[in-house]
Amino acid sequence: MSYLLTCPNCGTREVTDFGFGGEVAKRPSGSPGRRELNTYNYFRHNVAGVQREWWYHRSGCRAWFIAERDTTTNRVLKTEAVG
Amino acid sequence: MSADFLTLAVGGPIARSPLAEGSHRGAELEERDGWQVVASYGDAAGESRACRETVGWADLSHLAKAELSGTGAWLGSPADGVATRRGDGWACPLTPRRALLLGDTGTPPDGVTLDLTSSLGAISIAGPEARETIARFCAIDTRAATLPPLGFRPGSIARTPGYLLREGEDAFLLVFGAAYGAYMWEVVADAGGRLGGRPVGVDAARLAAAPREEVASDA
Amino acid sequence: MSRLAVQPGERIDRSRPLSFSYDGKQVAGYEGDTIASALYAAGRRIFSRSFKYHRPRGEICGCGQCANSLVDVDGSPGVRACGEPARAGMTVTHLNAWPSLEFDVMSATDRFGGRFTQVGFYYKTFIRPRRLWPVYEKVLRSAAGLGRLRERQAEREWETEYRRRHCDVLVIGGGVAGLAAAARAAELGADVVLCDEDVEPGGALLFEGGHERAGELAEQARAAGVEILSRAAAIGFFDGLVPVVQGSVLHQVRAARTIVAAGTIQQPLVFGDNDLPGVMLSGGARRLGALYGVAPGSTAVVATVDDRGLDDALALVGMGIELRAVADLRADVSGGLLAGRLRDAGVEVLGGLTPARGHGRRALEAITLASPQGGKERRIDCDLLAVSAGAAPALSLALQGGARAEYDGTRAAFRLTELPEGMFAAGSAAGYEDGESAEHSGLLAGAEAAGSLGHHHSGLREEQGKLGGERPAPKVATPPAYSGEGGKAFVDLDEDVTVKDVKQAVAEGFDSLELSKRYTTVTMGPSQGRFSQLPSARLIAAETGLDLETVGLTTARPPWTSVPLGVLAGRPFEAAKRSPVHARHKDLDASVRWAGDWLRAYDYGDPEAETRAVHEGAGVIDVSTLGKLIVRGPQAGELLDRLYPNRISNLAPGRIRYGVLLSDAGRITDDGTICRLDEETFYVTTTSSGAGAVEQWFTWWLADWGLDATVTDVTQGLAAINLAGPRAREILARVTDLDVTNESFSYLDAKQAKVGGVDCLLLRIGFVGELGYEIHCAGAHGQALWDALTEAGADLGVKPFGLEPQRVLRLQKLHIIVGQDTDSESTPYVAAMPWIVKLDKEQEFIGRWALEQRQDQVPPVELVGFRCADGTVPTEGAVVLARNGSPAGEVTSARFSAKVDSVIGMARVPSALAEEGARISISDGDRRIEAVVTKKPFFDPDGEVLRG
Repeated sequence: MSYLLTCPNCGTREVTDFGFGGEVAKRPSGSPGRRELNTYNYFRHNVAGVQREWWYHRSGCRAWFIAERDTTTNRVLKTEAVG
Repeated sequence: MSADFLTLAVGGPIARSPLAEGSHRGAELEERDGWQVVASYGDAAGESRACRETVGWADLSHLAKAELSGTGAWLGSPADGVATRRGDGWACPLTPRRALLLGDTGTPPDGVTLDLTSSLGAISIAGPEARETIARFCAIDTRAATLPPLGFRPGSIARTPGYLLREGEDAFLLVFGAAYGAYMWEVVADAGGRLGGRPVGVDAARLAAAPREEVASDA
Repeated sequence: MSRLAVQPGERIDRSRPLSFSYDGKQVAGYEGDTIASALYAAGRRIFSRSFKYHRPRGEICGCGQCANSLVDVDGSPGVRACGEPARAGMTVTHLNAWPSLEFDVMSATDRFGGRFTQVGFYYKTFIRPRRLWPVYEKVLRSAAGLGRLRERQAEREWETEYRRRHCDVLVIGGGVAGLAAAARAAELGADVVLCDEDVEPGGALLFEGGHERAGELAEQARAAGVEILSRAAAIGFFDGLVPVVQGSVLHQVRAARTIVAAGTIQQPLVFGDNDLPGVMLSGGARRLGALYGVAPGSTAVVATVDDRGLDDALALVGMGIELRAVADLRADVSGGLLAGRLRDAGVEVLGGLTPARGHGRRALEAITLASPQGGKERRIDCDLLAVSAGAAPALSLALQGGARAEYDGTRAAFRLTELPEGMFAAGSAAGYEDGESAEHSGLLAGAEAAGSLGHHHSGLREEQGKLGGERPAPKVATPPAYSGEGGKAFVDLDEDVTVKDVKQAVAEGFDSLELSKRYTTVTMGPSQGRFSQLPSARLIAAETGLDLETVGLTTARPPWTSVPLGVLAGRPFEAAKRSPVHARHKDLDASVRWAGDWLRAYDYGDPEAETRAVHEGAGVIDVSTLGKLIVRGPQAGELLDRLYPNRISNLAPGRIRYGVLLSDAGRITDDGTICRLDEETFYVTTTSSGAGAVEQWFTWWLADWGLDATVTDVTQGLAAINLAGPRAREILARVTDLDVTNESFSYLDAKQAKVGGVDCLLLRIGFVGELGYEIHCAGAHGQALWDALTEAGADLGVKPFGLEPQRVLRLQKLHIIVGQDTDSESTPYVAAMPWIVKLDKEQEFIGRWALEQRQDQVPPVELVGFRCADGTVPTEGAVVLARNGSPAGEVTSARFSAKVDSVIGMARVPSALAEEGARISISDGDRRIEAVVTKKPFFDPDGEVLRG
């Protein structure tokens, strides 16, 4: 595995430059019930296809960003800065 | 009370480079601006020649470093990937709200700074084999077309987080976590040594990195 | 030494002889020879013994692609003699035969092996009885394998350099197509790298009479700025990263575009005893003659299915070799131009025949040719059979990169049908085999690759025109899956897989290519299926009745060309973090060990004395490895309130609070202290190993919540030294002007002051339990601070102490180490710190929901202290038993404490046993250890020392 990712700040780097934050999930709000909380904590969609996920440019600008990646080919369709 | 203790006090004990374990070996040391720096390794002429003909590397950890955050002109745009000359130093954009200040930039007009001088080590690499040396431990593309002089690239250096600044055609500055200092010196010396280079004092290194007209006027 | 007359374009320099040692004897050769060509010239025909049957094997390809010529060179096994240039003075030895290549004891397996060497035999036989496997394994391992590693070798003897090379275009293969492509792309302005496995670029031109053209093309490419890497093998395609191994340099090439021009691999024929030395690929025979001036045989027969074989036959005739016949499987050969020329030269061309059986004991003596349909048969004496069973394009790298291939019946080979984005094909890979069209296809691929990067070429259309669309397929006969009945017919020489093996595998149900490959190991040898993939696919197709398109082909895994493991091992440097005080630990001869990615002082020779010093006088420990973050901004307090379960925003400037970090599942992930420096600035410490993760965690939530605060990791910028012990205050007073009395500098206070002239932040906290000051300063002054403290306290008995004594000291206080005493299930309730959770806090902190749902439940286990009556130290991880004897918890830490004069520890025990004075049983391997639970610290249970 040595595909490339494009950090919105630093540009294109080897994937080993980055930390993976998992798929983007909506955090519950208010006071979630047990089922909702467990779903949030323990269940992932794990799609075979394009998924939105968090990445962290650990070796560079140290900023988090969101990438859309095809999990079957590791092709990164786009990346975008957060905040 | 703020984070003043991050800054080295003037008049305090002499400051020691995080690379000292490697870079001070065989060196002629001098005290400059409160730091013990490597003036040379006993062969100033040969060291300058290495920077012109093969590659020379020098411990530049005493270089002032700071994080600038907030807003203002000095932050620059990370998308450009280029550092801006500020005073005798550079402002290097990291994110739209953070920049790394290297060297004696003076005080930025806006934003807040945090002293990272001790947090980061620095090695200057200069000479015609500088690019090849860096290619031995760093995957950042340093071809002139993608990284012109003053180009700035945060990214992995020898498997650790770091920053790469192209000071000139053949002169680069590596900036990395201070705790990796001894390791980084070993890595650079290994790579550069195989390409015929040698460690050099800070003067030889600075001369090699200076823009051509400055060298001419100094001479 | 027998050499041919000087050949045009030969690679050897006859004016520069050299010699090297082979199996103890000197072998003479010339500069430019390979090991194999020199040996061949010296009369050697057997180069190795086969993997399983120890059959004699000879030269096949003449270019370092097959496994037949594997030798050991200067102690390194696995070198291919026909690819490795001969060097004066080198020591070459054979592999896999004992006592010698000529007489190999193990070759008995060939004659008498019978059912013991059938495919799947090991799987079926050696599983019973299971306990005997170690014995079987030892015997089998010594009989198998292709070389012997030295018992010992100097550490990190291998010196591979790693070179990252970014480029616009990487061209794989330096034949006519690759050279043309590289030159064209570079001329259009692209930055081009070309890698080629041979010692010089040119590919087939070099031995097919085109060496001058090869030189011109290479010169043109160089002049255009192409970086040509010779003897450089591209070994894989990893998401666009192509490792190219060139001697002791591993180029990691990251190219925007890749042109695959890797040429073809001539295929062998499958017939009885087709592995006899003397049976060679026609291209290999031609290489030996043309490049090295070595006669591949004295009396030859050529067997072919295509024009390439006829062309090679003509070349052999030209070298003066007695060619006794050419068997062309194509029945209709009479009208061909090449056949005509052969006949003119007096060579008999036999249409419709193919080899059915090789004869000879140690080397080929005769060949029987037969018609695949049966009937016609002819035996001819010869010592060389040069075969050409079609040419398979070398597609593996393209396939690894995501290309697709389909079987093309007219060419009797697979061809690329679909290329991934950014990949182009030229020459044989694109279906253009003759020199002229290969060159055009190279020019076109070069122009297209450069054009896709914005370097446009006006003549692109013209180039396409020259190629003239689809080429007429060359006339090729499809070779039979196998022919003849007698002898062993090998489908895969590397792995000694025969036709019979594959048939049996299919019969047993392993009837797809992938299954059969795993069962028989066909294609899994060192040549990566170069010569066995197509024949085995053909055989499976024949056995199953499927067509080749359906059978398909497998993608060879990297490395496509074998490389020594040392090449992949990396430079011998470990990315160690060292504290600013590290040099002092070395001066003091500390035992330095890895702790996470740091090198730390584990102890200074006498951990018990170090512990005692802390209790009796004072100790200093380097805790610079602690993670340290500066959290600043108007909403810094808000951020921390949301991250910690306790309140942070109400902390007064100059005060410190302990905190744990939780996940959304309420589990403890890290701990440390939070010190408020001023209204908007907090100084947060984390565990040594957690610094990176905590920074990520903080910045992640900061990005998500968008609060006005910044987080900066200053871990590596600050030295931190913990001065602890009853004399700590006295020592500190000697080196600072700060009022250090308990009244003005009390427990959990933070002060900034000069210590030994160094600007410091002093935190009054006490992980080790004694009165303590954690003193932080800029790293460049860290050593000065260490020196100031140790000198000031010298007469008061201050001693440096390491990690091990610290572990004992903190255990006496039941202070946890996250990750040691907690696991991924540990909530604050499990870790016996419910007091840290402030569910009445207004902020919705991380972990709150999970903890709210648990607050009224009794946790299944709870962390407690224990002491062992009998002095045995239980292993960390030993099992704590419930009352009914079932495993219900575990020991997390245990040490002997001299201060407590007992073995003490911490354990997660069932909640029912988490009572002061409860007795627990610990099952530790064969031992059973009894212990008594305590919930109070062993040392200073009420914190009077700490606060005093």
